[in-house]
Amino acid sequence: MKRSTVLTEKNRGTWATVFAVIILLPVVLSLVGFVFSRGEDTPEVFLEAADSRWENCVRDAEYMRFRHMDLLKEVRSDVIRDGLKGGITLAGCGDCHHSREQFCDRCHEAASVSLDCWGCHYYLTDSEIEELEGGGE
Amino acid sequence: MDRRDFIKKGGAVVAGATGVLSLPVLNSCTAETAQAESKLAGKKWMVIDLTRCREDCTECMDACRQENNVAFHGDPRWDVHWIRRATLHPKDQSAGLEEKDVLLMCNQCDDPPCAMVCPVQATYKRDDGIVLVDHHRCIGCRYCMIACPYNARFFNWKENPDWPNKEYPRRSHGVAESCHFCAHLIDGGGRPACVEACERSGERALIFGDLLDPQSEVSRLVAGGGAKRIRADLGTQPKVYYLGL
Repeated sequence: MKRSTVLTEKNRGTWATVFAVIILLPVVLSLVGFVFSRGEDTPEVFLEAADSRWENCVRDAEYMRFRHMDLLKEVRSDVIRDGLKGGITLAGCGDCHHSREQFCDRCHEAASVSLDCWGCHYYLTDSEIEELEGGGE
Repeated sequence: MDRRDFIKKGGAVVAGATGVLSLPVLNSCTAETAQAESKLAGKKWMVIDLTRCREDCTECMDACRQENNVAFHGDPRWDVHWIRRATLHPKDQSAGLEEKDVLLMCNQCDDPPCAMVCPVQATYKRDDGIVLVDHHRCIGCRYCMIACPYNARFFNWKENPDWPNKEYPRRSHGVAESCHFCAHLIDGGGRPACVEACERSGERALIFGDLLDPQSEVSRLVAGGGAKRIRADLGTQPKVYYLGL
């Protein structure tokens, strides 16, 4: 007798299994991927060791690591609405963390966060720092 | 009491009562004037002396582009101007009026129509009266360009190719913008870039200051007579005065 591919009383266990596998496959695969690649993709923020000024950051490292976006948003509104009255600026970050590629882009790329900042605001890039340092010698 | 006397006395009583009752109203009127004056305190005005402005000079416009990274593509369809020169053609030639070159810029209205119509409150007036755009909020709907009676607003149709002043942000495409009296320079205790440039060039056609301060050059020039504001009849309270218009 030809095997029926139609759902019947007899083969519904098989169909249920096939359905469950299809649904759960992506979840299982991502879990497996997560377990085996753990720690490999996590980028580290690059802090210039020679420059100790970053110890005097506007907030402590722990806060900046997790909440810097809130701080920037808050400062952004303050500056725009009330005027630039000193304090925190986006350009000020670059005073200590010279490299945008190392300081911002590494984590954001890993986390698939696309930033709008650099279309309008300027941040010195690695090559420009080399240029500047080369010009200073 | 006859009819004549009754009407006379009655009239006097009504007139007296009206006077007494209208006192609070009059009081509030003077209070409003005082309030309007205090509203203008600490704000900045500009006087453009067209009799000193040379037609071939572009110092102020160049300085503005250099300071504020105003987009220049070399194509009138996409160029952005914060301060520009326009030629006024008189409607009626027989009236003896001549063609005139006039510097046009954002008039920094104290009652700004652009801020009124902005659906996302991206355009707003700061406490010191400066009208500026929060480009993070701007959605590029261009209502402000329609609302502005001075055509002072421009839209960034394209990404700005130049970035002369790296300390000041440029604008991405898709946002509207206009002059903001170089608010970032004023915050640092300075003056707008165009005013500085005009002074450097020796013309001193652009004068910047506080109109309410009787010692300031701005208030002396305006008090000297002949100072006009463009379309002051619209009631937007523009803060740019013209001499020799």
